[in-house]
Amino acid sequence: MLDTIARLLNEAGVTAWELSEVRTQGWEFYFIRHALDQNRVKDVSHITVKVFQLIEDGKFLGSASCEIAPTADETEIRAQIADLAYRATLVKNRPYTLRAPEADEPAPEEPIDLAAIARDFLRTVRELPETAGEDINSYEIFVSAKTRRFMSSTGIDRRESYPSSMLEVVVNARREGHEIELYRNYKSGTCDVEGLRKDLLRTMQYGRDRLLAKPTPALEKADVLFTARDAVSLYDYFADRLNAAMVYRKLSDWELGKPVAETFHGDRPTVTALRELPNSSMNRRFDGEGATIRDAVLLEDGVAKNYLGARMFAAYLGLEQAFSPTNLAASGGTRSEEELRAGAYLEVVEFSDFQVDSVTGDLFGEIRLAYWHDGETVTPVTGGSLSGSMLELAGEMYFTRESAQYDNWRIPAATLLKGVTVTGAA
Amino acid sequence: MKAPFSAYLDSLRDGLRELIALLRPDYDYVSVLATDSRGLSVRISQRARSVSSETMTTERGVVLRVCRDGQYSEYALNSFDPAEPEAAAEEIRAAFARQRAALEAVGAEVYKTAVLADEPLTLFAEKETEELPETTDVKALVEKLTALSDRGMTLGENMIDCMLRAESTHVCKMFLTERRDLRQSYVYSEASVVAVVNREGRTQIAYDGVSGRCGPELFARLGEKLAKTVATAEELLGAERIEPGEYEIITSPEVSGLIAHEAFGHGVEMDMFVKNRALGRDYIGRRVGSDLVTMHEGALCVEDVASYVFDDEGTLAGDVIEIENGILRTGICDALSALRLGTEPTGNGKRENFEHKVYTRMTNTIFDSGEDSLEDMIASVKHGFLLEGMESGMEDPKHWGIQCIIKAGREIRDGKFTGRLVAPIILTGYVPELLGNISMCSPDREVFGTGGCGKGYKEWVKVSDGGPYLKTKARLG
Repeated sequence: MLDTIARLLNEAGVTAWELSEVRTQGWEFYFIRHALDQNRVKDVSHITVKVFQLIEDGKFLGSASCEIAPTADETEIRAQIADLAYRATLVKNRPYTLRAPEADEPAPEEPIDLAAIARDFLRTVRELPETAGEDINSYEIFVSAKTRRFMSSTGIDRRESYPSSMLEVVVNARREGHEIELYRNYKSGTCDVEGLRKDLLRTMQYGRDRLLAKPTPALEKADVLFTARDAVSLYDYFADRLNAAMVYRKLSDWELGKPVAETFHGDRPTVTALRELPNSSMNRRFDGEGATIRDAVLLEDGVAKNYLGARMFAAYLGLEQAFSPTNLAASGGTRSEEELRAGAYLEVVEFSDFQVDSVTGDLFGEIRLAYWHDGETVTPVTGGSLSGSMLELAGEMYFTRESAQYDNWRIPAATLLKGVTVTGAA
Repeated sequence: MKAPFSAYLDSLRDGLRELIALLRPDYDYVSVLATDSRGLSVRISQRARSVSSETMTTERGVVLRVCRDGQYSEYALNSFDPAEPEAAAEEIRAAFARQRAALEAVGAEVYKTAVLADEPLTLFAEKETEELPETTDVKALVEKLTALSDRGMTLGENMIDCMLRAESTHVCKMFLTERRDLRQSYVYSEASVVAVVNREGRTQIAYDGVSGRCGPELFARLGEKLAKTVATAEELLGAERIEPGEYEIITSPEVSGLIAHEAFGHGVEMDMFVKNRALGRDYIGRRVGSDLVTMHEGALCVEDVASYVFDDEGTLAGDVIEIENGILRTGICDALSALRLGTEPTGNGKRENFEHKVYTRMTNTIFDSGEDSLEDMIASVKHGFLLEGMESGMEDPKHWGIQCIIKAGREIRDGKFTGRLVAPIILTGYVPELLGNISMCSPDREVFGTGGCGKGYKEWVKVSDGGPYLKTKARLG
């Protein structure tokens, strides 16, 4: 099908084109407690075409895109290409060149056994040690084998296959007639049996603690320790602000070679794009525009080193080797977790929805479970919220040398922000 | 004009009917949802422009649902050949057999559910629209948005970009069983303006939009939003941080809508009742808000982006009164959950698209109006804030906690605005307290449909929500 579309694109005489197909063969299982609510099969293919046209004597490069159904016949495809060819002439973007082919090792062909991956997920959840106080409310398992192919008028023709999985779990905890829930959503390549089991057991412990939690005190300003998945958002802030699109659109003013905070009183983060992370759901050999994904340093010791991102914006910034990163790692911590845990601090492990706005730097989240360490005792607390701005807080962050992986991010195992605003629940 | 039903779907109809007939002897129930939704998306800013035929809800595919011995299974595909239904039937049977073997290997039990009703019904609905996304004048639209972006840049001193987005989707869906033949075609559209400002290294963004169950003709209204959006962004540059605490608040219609959505939208999705994941199940008939709180939910309660004729399970659209004068009356329900709970479906069974499972989902969720003027509401506030602009929200139906991220608050002291603006704001609280403290409610109400809604952190669907100005108390940080 792709070869037919490529032929029709060449015949259409457009300036340039990109063509991609992603085929997903997936299995899904939905459970209420441990009884099967529904099983689903998916076999779908999505083909996307982008047509480019130079206009006004090369002053602008326009583009337009659409999805072509895998059932479309040549007449329908020709009509869609003609429509794109016209629409592209209406879009006045600065001209740039599409990515050229790059040498890369051929992608390994490894069979993907959906049934085996699904069985691992099923057994992992079903074999958790549930008790009268903590159990599994419901879960959803998604496993799939994906095949990608990308072609362009510049001669790129790449393909790869990979597994992609997701597990959503709701854990209940109850005590004296009161029941609460904790939500987890894990993405990965295949099933990480040990990692999942460990995290779900920890989640059950959080459930027990939340039932004993007292209202979060009105601390006004406090040091806040992040030791769970939400800390990824803190490091996303750095990666987002070094994205070529954010920089070109002036949504980020970070300049290469300059520190990204006015002053660093704490640790200086290093952020690196990685081609591979163990069992990441985002292990890819090439990005959505056919560029080879490599290891590359974005931020080094708090200094901006590279912008990465989509071809158009990267080209505008004069970055020929840029690509859209899929896996990332943050490092640079100088302390152990024990050192970070000195003094009084609020350790937040469950938020309703922790968010860091990469443009404004604002961060916020309602606290569902935290531990207030006052220097002598540890008290589980709930309610209230955190707020602050990374524009100020990034200048005094401390994080561990040890790391933890959350799907496509490897981050420090613990991160401490100084002087965060804490609205109490009391 | 009528939005014409998809010729593509009509071309599949006989083949899909044959597929249902082929599978029916093997299963107690067989249905098919086939979709063909086309769209247009134009994005214009000072620094990048794009035109695409894809929106959040464009799709083309088929999902087949079967039930055997109380077990429901689905198969989603987008390569169905109407000339070869036998091949599709064979592959579907074989795929389910492979899954059954994997489930048996771990000893999984089935949550047995009765067979869905299949009452005879034929329906063909083509809703009115002035324009279609497939045939609208894209050149004129690009020029219009470009002119708006250029004008927006002149309206503020600190503007760094003015981004315009216009999207329109022509939805066509066909639901078939042995006895049902439902087809619908309608268009919905939405557009937004985003003003980005920067001063002394600080960036702020303001956003506003328009939406409707109508065609691209909607985009003519976008210009009305431009000046106020730019002014809001400029004003945000001077905003201060709020002192955390409990305050009297007046919520603007947009914020009221966010609270409606998070508080008793997600809280009464009855698939959560089946899983015992929502406190609402135990509160039917009990007080959850003040007498001033009446809330509707349904595809029929207003005409906006989430208005349709039938849902993704072939249930006709409804208009449910969830809360009446503060008393929780009922929830919303998809068809399978209704069977499990022994109740009736409300027309709220929705899929992100044909590839996804049906869940109970919101459509349009709206507080009813009251009789208090906004002026009287402001005058009644000793110290508090008028909250404007929504960013996001999150619910906890099991615990009735709520988190709303609000763009900004205008300070009110002794019944008058002080001129002080605080931003951003995180509103948190306990839903029955938040609704129970509603003491005033304005007569005007607005509906907003430019956003989407997820279930957990996935399953994105279009929704609208809204309400009047409401006065209550909340914890702000």
